[in-house]
Amino acid sequence: MSLPSPIGLLAELTHRCPLGCPYCSNPIDLVRASGELDARAWTRVMQEAADLGAMHVHLSGGEPLTRNDLAEIVNAANVAGLYTNLITSAIGLTPQRLTELKAAGLDHVQISIQGADPARADAVAHFKGAMKTKREAARHVVEEGLALTINAVVHRDNIRDLPQIIDLAQEWGAGRLEVAHVQYHGWALANRAGLMPSRDEFQTAAQVVEEARERLSGDLVIDHVIPDYYGERPKACMGGWGRQVIVVAPDGRALPCHAAASLPGLTFANVKNKSLSEIWKDDAAFQRYRGTSWMPKPCQGCERAEVDWGGCRCQAFALAGDASLTDPVCALSPNHATVAAAIAKDTAAPRAPYRFRRIGG
Amino acid sequence: MTDPTPKLAPGVRLHGDGSKLLAPERILELDEIAQSIVRQMDGTKRVSDIAAALSKEYNERESVIRKDIDALIADLAAKGYVKL
Repeated sequence: MSLPSPIGLLAELTHRCPLGCPYCSNPIDLVRASGELDARAWTRVMQEAADLGAMHVHLSGGEPLTRNDLAEIVNAANVAGLYTNLITSAIGLTPQRLTELKAAGLDHVQISIQGADPARADAVAHFKGAMKTKREAARHVVEEGLALTINAVVHRDNIRDLPQIIDLAQEWGAGRLEVAHVQYHGWALANRAGLMPSRDEFQTAAQVVEEARERLSGDLVIDHVIPDYYGERPKACMGGWGRQVIVVAPDGRALPCHAAASLPGLTFANVKNKSLSEIWKDDAAFQRYRGTSWMPKPCQGCERAEVDWGGCRCQAFALAGDASLTDPVCALSPNHATVAAAIAKDTAAPRAPYRFRRIGG
Repeated sequence: MTDPTPKLAPGVRLHGDGSKLLAPERILELDEIAQSIVRQMDGTKRVSDIAAALSKEYNERESVIRKDIDALIADLAAKGYVKL
């Protein structure tokens, strides 16, 4: 099987973030500012990613706007021919900053919201006034003629507000809304008992999305990232390990998945010492779960082996204690009962207080 | 029949080699005919103008071309790649 090119680069420019969302997908062990790659290194990474065949770069974090050299990095990505997507909390997205980023070639802005009700959303973000700032920033994005996506992570505390969240995305002028159920990695795994909705709540949410998609067709694109725990079959995590996406962490480590650093027994190459191309083609961590030869039963020989690629390695580790097993979300996994057990335990428990994300956790 | 002026939605652009549309989190491969149609969408041309231009280019009747364009544009608009 010939090695496919990555289609996207997930550039985690920093782990610094003004918000403290308890479902953050960053690892618990966050990189500090002093350990971050500089703009020169990112410039090289952008070109190497484009040379390798990537078309999108997702400028993420943490909060990318905490970097004063963000426009320089956007410009480098644009020069390399990459489609630039800024994934932001919008805290710090002033009109001046936006003008500067647009001039640097920014293609698209994705703003996160924590709910539809400002007081409750700010409480989840752990940042007073976040919602107001986001609303203003969204207006500037639309006024600048830039494309806007609203990303709403949904969980136990805001899932019932989904109709209002959809209204809000429309009202703010978004062309696209991403409704993403929490996936339990990093901080989200630590907060699972406070975040897990019930199956009924999830099913209602799915109906709300279906209805809105039909009603708003051609007006608002709605992407629905369904929660793995309520699935029958796993998702192709990252489109398959080392198949579609290459992640570069703030300190330069190249990862097949943004949560891969939490897996034991893997060491990761750093873009400071190696080219992205060498890493993509030869690095042992990228080879470890690539393709189908590593797969255990029941993945081995399964008709979905090249559809879901065995699901999520981090989930296999979190739920079954071994990253090289079939994702327990799969109904065919011998560990499938661990999912139901986790759901039963977390949804029955009284709502646990959040452990808010912060550096030095 | 309506005669809209289609253009790429904000945040949608052609990849450098012209064979794909890039949009947030999405890539759409375009076949040769779709590429010709999308290249014509400059925000000033109406569907009838595009049909006329392509009719010359492909030496095909405008009514035949028009059907292809209408179908493609309806599909791209429903998926959010094109605004009418």
